[in-house]
Amino acid sequence: MKNLKRISTIALSCFVVSALVSSCTDLIVEEKDSLVVQNSGGGFVAGDAGALLEGIYNGLSFYTDQGNTYSLNQHPSAEMIPPTRGVDWGDNGVWRTLHGHTWDATHTQVLNSWNALNGRSFTCEQILASNPSSSQAAEARALRSMFMAQIMDFWGQVPRRTVDQGVDDLPNVLSRSEAFDFIVSNLEEALPELQPGAPATINSTMTQSAVHALLARLYLNKAVYKSTSPAGPYTFDNADMAQVVAHADAVTAAGFGLDADFFNPFTDQESPERILTTEANGVPRNRWMMTMHYDQGGFPAERDGPWNGFTTLADFYDTFEADDLRRFKDVGSNEGYGGLNKGFLIGQQYREDGSEIVDSRSLKPLQFSRDIPLAGAATEKGIRVIKYHPTDNGIYILLRYSDVYLMKAEALLRSGDNGAALTMINNLRTLRNATALSSLSEDAMFAERGRELYWEAIARTDEIRFGKFNVQYQDVTNTEAYTVLFPIPSIAIASNTNLSQNEGY
Amino acid sequence: MNQLYQMSSSKLVQSAKFLPRLLALTLTLSIISFTSFSQNINVTGKVVDSNGDELPGVTVQVKGTSNGVSTDLSGNYSLSSVPSAGTIVYSFVGMTSQEIAVQSRSNINVTLANDEQLLEEVVVIGYGTVKKKDATGAVAAIGEKDFNKGVITSSEQLMQGRVAGVAITQSSGEPGGGINVRIRGTSSVRAGNGPLFVVDGVPLSGGDITGGGSNGGLGSSSARNPLNFLNPNDIASIDILKDASATAIYGSRGANGVVLITTKKGKQGKGSMDYTFSVGTSQITKKFDLLSASEFVAAGGPNNGGTTDWQDEVLRTAITTQHNLSFGGGSNGDSYRFSAGILDQDGIINNSGIKRYSASFNGNKKVINDRLNIGTQLNLANTVDAGVPVTDNSGFSGDLLAAMLKSNPTNSVRNSDGTFNQVSTVEPNPAAIIAYSKDNTNTIRALGNINAELQIVDGLKFKTVVGFDRSISSRKAAFSPLLKAAQIENVGQVYFTDIETNNSLWENYFTYDKEFGNVSFNGLAGYSYQRFEYFAKSSNATNFRVDDLDLMVNNVSAADNSKGFGSIINGSNSNVDELQSYFGRINLGFSSKYLLTATVRADGSTRFGSGNKYGVFPSFAGKWRLIEEDFVPKNVFSDLGLRLGYGITGNQELPHNLYQERRRYGSAGINNSSSINNGGFGTVAFANPGLKWESTTQFNAGLDFGFAGGRLSGSLDYYYKNTNDLLFQVFSAQPAPSPFVWRNLDADVINRGLEISLNAIVVDANDFEFEINANAAFNKNVVENLLGVYDTGAINGQGLTGAFAQRIASGQPLFAYFLREFGGYDEAGNSIYPNGDFQQFLDGASPNPTVTGGLTTNFKYKSLTLSAFFNGVFGNYLYSNNANAFFTKGSFSNGRNVTREVVGSSEGPLNAPDVSTRFLEKGDFVRLANLNLGYTVNTGKTDAISSLRFFLTGQNLALFTNYSGQDPEVNTNKQINGIPSFGIDYTAYPRARTWTLGANISF
Repeated sequence: MKNLKRISTIALSCFVVSALVSSCTDLIVEEKDSLVVQNSGGGFVAGDAGALLEGIYNGLSFYTDQGNTYSLNQHPSAEMIPPTRGVDWGDNGVWRTLHGHTWDATHTQVLNSWNALNGRSFTCEQILASNPSSSQAAEARALRSMFMAQIMDFWGQVPRRTVDQGVDDLPNVLSRSEAFDFIVSNLEEALPELQPGAPATINSTMTQSAVHALLARLYLNKAVYKSTSPAGPYTFDNADMAQVVAHADAVTAAGFGLDADFFNPFTDQESPERILTTEANGVPRNRWMMTMHYDQGGFPAERDGPWNGFTTLADFYDTFEADDLRRFKDVGSNEGYGGLNKGFLIGQQYREDGSEIVDSRSLKPLQFSRDIPLAGAATEKGIRVIKYHPTDNGIYILLRYSDVYLMKAEALLRSGDNGAALTMINNLRTLRNATALSSLSEDAMFAERGRELYWEAIARTDEIRFGKFNVQYQDVTNTEAYTVLFPIPSIAIASNTNLSQNEGY
Repeated sequence: MNQLYQMSSSKLVQSAKFLPRLLALTLTLSIISFTSFSQNINVTGKVVDSNGDELPGVTVQVKGTSNGVSTDLSGNYSLSSVPSAGTIVYSFVGMTSQEIAVQSRSNINVTLANDEQLLEEVVVIGYGTVKKKDATGAVAAIGEKDFNKGVITSSEQLMQGRVAGVAITQSSGEPGGGINVRIRGTSSVRAGNGPLFVVDGVPLSGGDITGGGSNGGLGSSSARNPLNFLNPNDIASIDILKDASATAIYGSRGANGVVLITTKKGKQGKGSMDYTFSVGTSQITKKFDLLSASEFVAAGGPNNGGTTDWQDEVLRTAITTQHNLSFGGGSNGDSYRFSAGILDQDGIINNSGIKRYSASFNGNKKVINDRLNIGTQLNLANTVDAGVPVTDNSGFSGDLLAAMLKSNPTNSVRNSDGTFNQVSTVEPNPAAIIAYSKDNTNTIRALGNINAELQIVDGLKFKTVVGFDRSISSRKAAFSPLLKAAQIENVGQVYFTDIETNNSLWENYFTYDKEFGNVSFNGLAGYSYQRFEYFAKSSNATNFRVDDLDLMVNNVSAADNSKGFGSIINGSNSNVDELQSYFGRINLGFSSKYLLTATVRADGSTRFGSGNKYGVFPSFAGKWRLIEEDFVPKNVFSDLGLRLGYGITGNQELPHNLYQERRRYGSAGINNSSSINNGGFGTVAFANPGLKWESTTQFNAGLDFGFAGGRLSGSLDYYYKNTNDLLFQVFSAQPAPSPFVWRNLDADVINRGLEISLNAIVVDANDFEFEINANAAFNKNVVENLLGVYDTGAINGQGLTGAFAQRIASGQPLFAYFLREFGGYDEAGNSIYPNGDFQQFLDGASPNPTVTGGLTTNFKYKSLTLSAFFNGVFGNYLYSNNANAFFTKGSFSNGRNVTREVVGSSEGPLNAPDVSTRFLEKGDFVRLANLNLGYTVNTGKTDAISSLRFFLTGQNLALFTNYSGQDPEVNTNKQINGIPSFGIDYTAYPRARTWTLGANISF
């Protein structure tokens, strides 16, 4: 009996010990829903260049948002104002401060733009380190330059992280001048390997034409980027202006041209203007929702009403001649959208059947007014702007030929060839049913750019270049020179000691 | 009687001439014997304890009557008018009562023994039990009699307010909704602050097992409480380990405390069958003070002709029924218990509720000469949640509750043709929302274990436990295209979320108990392995060609998939995590006076990269049982002990695998224009290979005391907790693969405080008992050494995009409020901010309470019991996002309904309702949370029924607070970038007052 007891005890103990020994695990689990790319020695492991590139193109639709980079480019300018209507659009003052130039380093849209642009810039670095084909590498270089150019434009400093830098490494920071050189050299390096590009409904990849357009813009603004004092004064070099003309001509040579119908590029019809667009998912819905009044909706496929937000300023509206085709286009009757015309909407608004729209809150006829206070605005205040129309199925445009055309004209003007510049401007004005100018000044050039490219996210850059950014109008309370650069988000400053805050913040 | 008869008859036979004397004698004798035989003898005696010492004050009472006395100082008693065939009951606090049959004895001496239950109350600690008097750590045990009664959906509600230092906040009044448990303050910043729940030895994973999710444009709702599956009726006791020395045995997950739940076993003996039935009604405690239709028009609101009380349209009186059946028994240490239960709880909002069907089995058997004890506990439950779109973050058009608050009372519910009167997507009709939406989550969960304990040699035991925890949950939510609401009108939405979890446990440990003279030794060494598998998939379909809710869910191909219509998109993810641990503990006792405990646990987790996988968590504690010392006067103290403990525990609650770089396709989404945003191939997270355990160091000093023979007892604890290496999602240094990166921050979160718990037996008389339990906890919380600031507490509403109310920064408590200081209105009706139109800290005002407490009073009178339970929270502030979004003049001038106080205020209609102290209120409250009246029917005669008890319970009967919102116990999830918020009230499901009537019968 005792033996049996002892045997059974020992047997059980052995079982227990063996069970314990065999149960130890190395605590490494297989990942079933993602690909692990880190190798045991650390360092970057190549990803799928094609998939990453496709992700970037697909993600270009973020430009259609009414906040982020669009708001940073538009609201500080005299083209657009984001009023607070009672409780609507108050949003902790984020919009009001953009108009008044009173933003600070904690501004949400500044932070969002910083993250969006820098994140995409890093994805391009990853593509370049992932054994891309030569054309993929060229596209990645071009895209990286495009994103970095915007960072340089907004903040004047561009951080850069290489793929082998880990969590504890701080990205190096390029100064504005260094960034400019880096951006331009990368664009020029990418140029030969890209497709030439031609007008199309969707032009969602980087092509030589897109790079030429970007280079034109960069050389035109080079004086701004290279200036020791960010607010100017700027001295424009004739050699740079010649570069602008050359790149603009290259775009023209690829088959792009001005569209006789001003609003046509924003539709889904063929147009010679579209140089770079988003992919099919870049629906520009935000562009009309952000400006239309609550009661202008009622479309069958829409899920909610418009947001009644941004408008333009009466002074900007007055820069148009009455018959300028860019100011207003009657769209006739459109199923469900009739009554919503294109261009600048002022005064009484109508429904498709011709009846007057009545404001459901004030119960008065809906008439858009000229005046527009920044705070405490009533719902019907402000002139609205429609460039993309709900019926048109257009795709959001990032680069357009008119911009390139005007850049060439400006370059000619700045390098002293006033006659050629005047001819170009008058050609455009004739196309747009505006009277020809007798002479061309810088102010007239600036005004023409505004009339052609309003609400297309280029206003701030133009105002800075022409020295019109730090001007008092409406509710702009801060006209200090330092506001030509946005502050680096305070969170970003805390995360990277290589960054130093811009002056004035 | 017979004797007398014989006596009298013989006497009668013998001498007839003595008849008159005989008659007199007979009469006298009969009188005497009548009085003595009809229940009259004197009984005297002495009562002593098991040591032979006299026991004064013992209640000596004739059973079933009020005839009783108390023993005098020498333990003697004298009881008259005692029926000689009756029973005398001897009872004294702290001693086991005895009932002794008189059997005509006139002298009965009694020895009373100490009540083992009370003085040697046993507490479950990790991997074993310990006598309460020997516990060196801060532990609290509550048994069934302490549980909250009434309609209890999940286990946390049982212990709410009963234990000092354990603060339980229900996020809202939703049946089955989330519950927030904080033991000794909040230590971690991001989610994962809850304690570890262990059910019958199986630690639960703590993750969500149901999908919360989207409700179209109405916002997103949180997941259901994962503990809903456990039928509270099956729980025998809950033991809470609070300080590090107690929780260190669970090392890696013990930083926030450990809650050990033990389910009921069968009782020894011939066993019993129990059936409990109850039915309860619930109604809203306090309706919102909204304007009626006539008041709305009188104040200037647009008059659309109708008269509707939207609160009446949405709310109802809800009925809850519960059935619980159990049977079991046991003998010689074997036992078995089987139970089944049905809970059908309706919520006070129409169409909402939870049903639970549960079954459990708990059995064990001793074999091989009682050396091997094999047992099993199985819990199986099917819960069906019917949800309504009451969400956390709806925008300016609102969710169901927001629609109820802001809808114009002059809007009629329906048009004359019977269809719903749906004005616009910005102002959805609440009755239409209820009618045109359906959200059901069906969950099946099985939790159980098989364990075997073998006694190898004397004192050495080996136990192995194999546990499992499987759940499958499926959410099907449909919103009809007929509903005029954001993202739903004309297109409809269907959401499917399926989550499967499979967790397994294998534990083996040795225990050794031995007495070496004066020294008692208890040792534990073991190994534990746990594996957590998770899989989730979700689908979203839109652009429906049908509008019937059931067809949308069950014929989802009705979604239009042709070109140009984004319709059905899917996403899925799956991960596996493992936890491997080695642990040991030594308990040493010296003459039962000095007790020492040392624990260590080494945990390895797959959440961290190589080099950091293992964390070691030691702890030390000691107890000095002062009551055993001679210098402590035993006639003053009945118990006195001093405890000291120190330990390090860990926390590993962060998402899966953030230390390796991983890439996958992001989720696709259907955007507002009905086109699909394709998911791009990208990095999951910015990998940080240096991630390691978050650790909490805790020091605890405690005093256990008892006075007046145990009539007043309690404990006092002081603790200091410092959490370091905080696991935190910080902003990456851009450019980076992801805007956020998880790091261990070298910041500290410090919690320090005091806990008091008292138990007083005020009256312990013959028929009447009165007992009071009180507990209070004081906690102070501060964050130190944090670089940078982190915002949380997103505030939603019209014109409030990007608004937030709380900020985490160094020198402030966690979730400190960061608001503009409001100073009234100017002549134009716009807000004045005397300290500047920018947000700032407010001297440490935060939603963390300074004091939490509970008070229970128990009365017992004969067969009636009455217990009342109050709980209170003080020192916290609440931010009413409801008031910020809806109760402003601007909202009223937009044609929305508001509360009465808005109409008379001097605010102007164009005033922007920026985030400010205008909407910050004190959240102090005292609540009569539970009132329970029970009546036990005397079933002494019947053999079949062993007990019959009726009870009436009232929950949430009275609330004393200055908070103007619906209820001050609220916590809506307003996280920003994964940082949780606390104390914000936004369209929370309202609270109900519930009356429950029920009966419990045992056979």
